[in-house]
Amino acid sequence: MSGRKIAWLLLVCLFLTGCQRAQKEEEKTSIRIGISLYRGDDTFINNIRSVIEEKAKEYERESGIKVTLDIQDAKGSQNTQNNQVERFISLGCDVLCINPVDRMDVSVIIDRAMTAGVPVVFFNRQPVEEDMNRWDKLYYIGVDARETAILQGQMVVDLYGEQPWAVDRNEDGVVSYVLLEGESSHQDSLIRTEWSIQTLKDGGVPIEKITGGIANWERSQASALMEQWLDAYPDTIELVVSNNDDMALGAIDALERAKVTGVNVVGIDGTTPGIEALESGKLLGTVSANKEIYGSAIVDLAASCALGEECPEEYPLTDGVYYWTPQEILIQ
Amino acid sequence: MIGKKSRILILFYILVLVVLFLMCSTDLIIREPEKGVYEVAVIIEDVRDDNYGNFRKGMDRAAVEFNADVRFITLYERLDGGQQMELLLREQQDGAEALIVAPVDEESISQAMSKKQVTIPVVLLGTESREEKAGSGVVIDYEHMGRQLAWEMQERIPEHCPVVILKDPADKSAMSEDFLQGARAVLSDHGHDCLLAGPSGKDGYKEMLGEMTEEPAVILAGSPQVLEEAAGALREDSVLSGRVWGLYGRGNTMEILNDLDQGRITGICVTDEFSRGYLSVRMAIQALEGTKDQELLEMDSYYIEKENLREPKFEKMLFPME
Repeated sequence: MSGRKIAWLLLVCLFLTGCQRAQKEEEKTSIRIGISLYRGDDTFINNIRSVIEEKAKEYERESGIKVTLDIQDAKGSQNTQNNQVERFISLGCDVLCINPVDRMDVSVIIDRAMTAGVPVVFFNRQPVEEDMNRWDKLYYIGVDARETAILQGQMVVDLYGEQPWAVDRNEDGVVSYVLLEGESSHQDSLIRTEWSIQTLKDGGVPIEKITGGIANWERSQASALMEQWLDAYPDTIELVVSNNDDMALGAIDALERAKVTGVNVVGIDGTTPGIEALESGKLLGTVSANKEIYGSAIVDLAASCALGEECPEEYPLTDGVYYWTPQEILIQ
Repeated sequence: MIGKKSRILILFYILVLVVLFLMCSTDLIIREPEKGVYEVAVIIEDVRDDNYGNFRKGMDRAAVEFNADVRFITLYERLDGGQQMELLLREQQDGAEALIVAPVDEESISQAMSKKQVTIPVVLLGTESREEKAGSGVVIDYEHMGRQLAWEMQERIPEHCPVVILKDPADKSAMSEDFLQGARAVLSDHGHDCLLAGPSGKDGYKEMLGEMTEEPAVILAGSPQVLEEAAGALREDSVLSGRVWGLYGRGNTMEILNDLDQGRITGICVTDEFSRGYLSVRMAIQALEGTKDQELLEMDSYYIEKENLREPKFEKMLFPME
């Protein structure tokens, strides 16, 4: 056989192999998504998890592509989450959706994902920019914390504008408030606190901070803090500004135990218990991310990554990386 | 001096030793037993996994221990038997080596197995009375559970106090039917009128309970979902909760346990779901390896009230560490 014939034969073989591979990619009829949650008992994260499960089923029904979700709870341990990521990759997940335990420490996750060529959609806890810039298959879905905080402040500003006595309960011309903050390491805590208070000031509400504390997003911790503050500053607190609904509910628990009425409490997240408290008149208001869109964005973006497609047009990515979920004010 | 022949012989021995070493180290002679990843699919009867929290923890533990890849699948519509069967066949086609199923309709699953539509091992999570026929499973005797709960109830509620039994009309599952059958038998024997009721109007159980409990009554919920809804109705309506002497049922979702802790639910019957999850995966793996020693494992059920919720035995069972 001459050299030319051999060359032609090799070329034909290469072509056929290429065709087969392309056909294989076209035929992808199922995707597997590995999801790791920083803590499964966080109410907001649990709400998002439920929406993700629902949306995955919807996607499966509409597209005919089977979606398998592997959902794991990292229980607040970055080490556990790293191991979960390793297992997801070994089980052949096509894409990872990670709600990081420590947003400053996602390098191990990114390293493993990059080595395996598995795209990662981070959500709710935003990794630092340097990490996000390491690979073009890293995405983040969350809410714009500054917008959230401004909306939270705005609902109090609007109420004060319409009925000042509803906010300044003792009508001394000053609204005395306490502040419940989330984890100090979470990007949203600082931004929510800063911009919420700034909006109150800019909106002309004469505020005075009595005290504040970090309750790590938790209802029980917020409840304990509020109980102390009610003892230390009796008949003084008029407004509770909370970085999330769970802590707002903790403050409400303490108010109910102490039989204190007339204190306005505002939260963020629009969780199911938060909305129940709003409906029963215990919570003045909350800022809610549109969870339907939040969950859809995670599923749709993950699915398109898994299938090697472009990000869906309905979720415009800022800088090709970030998707910000729309939010709304919910008030009594 | 070593002769030429001896040198060749030594070289030959060395060569043989090298070859033997290579053969051993590359599994050519001594084969390491191959331990593949077992593909197991778990298909439940519900659209949500709220009632399977502890089950999943046990399942995950077994998955790691037995090197299994366990996929947990919920239905699009609750208690849709046809859809469950479709998913069963889909998973088999997609490479699942064993199935664990909380059956909506035991009969059709048994038929599919006998007609060889389903050819892989199936571990059923149903009720003891039905799975006896089907073969393999980690089962609960729901009728016994119903009787056990009713015995506890009748000791605590006033004589001849009517019992409103709440049941989702769409729920035809053997679990709910057996459970209520057992409970009704005991309650009727002790002179309690049992009034069967389903949700009405847009407010569901709340509206229905409002109509039914003008006289004080005790409520028995047929399934965990109904128990959650009934507790929710009492949470929202203090007048209604004042007319209800006790709310009983089964299940151990976080919502149910919280309501029990808050005193809105009086008593529940539960099983060790962590062990159930673990054992069902173990049983599936044993079936694949051909080492299964038991066809049917029956889980015990326990009655729990607010007072014994924090007993170490129950705390360990209801809030298991992973």
